[in-house]
Amino acid sequence: MPETIEIQLKKGVLGLCVLALLARADSYAYEIASRLSDAIDMGEGTIYPLMRRMQTDGLVETYLVESSSGPSRKYYRLSPAGRDALAAQSAEWTHFTRAVDAIVANDEAPVAPAPGEAA
Amino acid sequence: MTRTEFLSRLRQGLVGLPMSVAAEIVADYETHFEDGAAAGRSEAEVASALGDPARLARELRAEAGAQRWQQEKNPSAAAAAVFAVLGLGAIDILILLPILMGVIGALFGVGIAVIAVFITGGGIMVGGPFLDIPGGAFAAILAGLGLMAGATSAGALLAIVTIGLVNAIVWFARLHYRLLKPALEPQTTVVGDVA
Repeated sequence: MPETIEIQLKKGVLGLCVLALLARADSYAYEIASRLSDAIDMGEGTIYPLMRRMQTDGLVETYLVESSSGPSRKYYRLSPAGRDALAAQSAEWTHFTRAVDAIVANDEAPVAPAPGEAA
Repeated sequence: MTRTEFLSRLRQGLVGLPMSVAAEIVADYETHFEDGAAAGRSEAEVASALGDPARLARELRAEAGAQRWQQEKNPSAAAAAVFAVLGLGAIDILILLPILMGVIGALFGVGIAVIAVFITGGGIMVGGPFLDIPGGAFAAILAGLGLMAGATSAGALLAIVTIGLVNAIVWFARLHYRLLKPALEPQTTVVGDVA
């Protein structure tokens, strides 16, 4: 299942991205979804199952904010467990991308002049 | 797809969830449409960006099932979680179902056996002194108590194994279910075509 690697990768990264966005500022689902769908291709609707899962796992908490126009809005904020998860996952991410970059960069030098590499 | 269409298909997919949970989910998506409209997007645009409501409903139901199982460890929560998770199609049901049936059958059989041993133990303890059992009345009471205690501990072990099994299924499915696959695929192909 080689095509699922990308899916799994994005799925893992999606959680990390939400944690990182919420670490900067509390936010609501529409804002998170539009930020993420711009940055990495994802269906906006996916944000709701994801936020519910993160709530189940205790990574985020919700609170309602009264709005001047219309009904009150549901905001998400990181829980202490969410901050721990962000620290752990971003460390993992940095480690992982560095390792991959090192391999790719090393490979590129000898591979680049090889014939038939018309990509 | 219009907003009304999207929401009604979402509601259909959420049938079986507690009313309050379903209402909360629908309200989330309603807000999304309102925010989209405020940002100047049409209903059709927002609906297509959200993705397939039936698939979203399946994921939300699986999530709710897993959540309920975490909170209350009882047979109905276990069944709900396992079926919601199977509904995702993450696990190949055709392969898994016979195995699952076998395991459930075995657990059920052991459960019945444990209850039978417990009742037999009780019978020996109560009836033993009045029957002519070698070793005398005292031995019969002790033997009955022993059987009952054994059955109780076996039952406890069985419960632990069952809870562990349901946990494993839920964990496995949540790890593997294709949360993003249908949402990503069209966009991925478009990107591929352009490049």
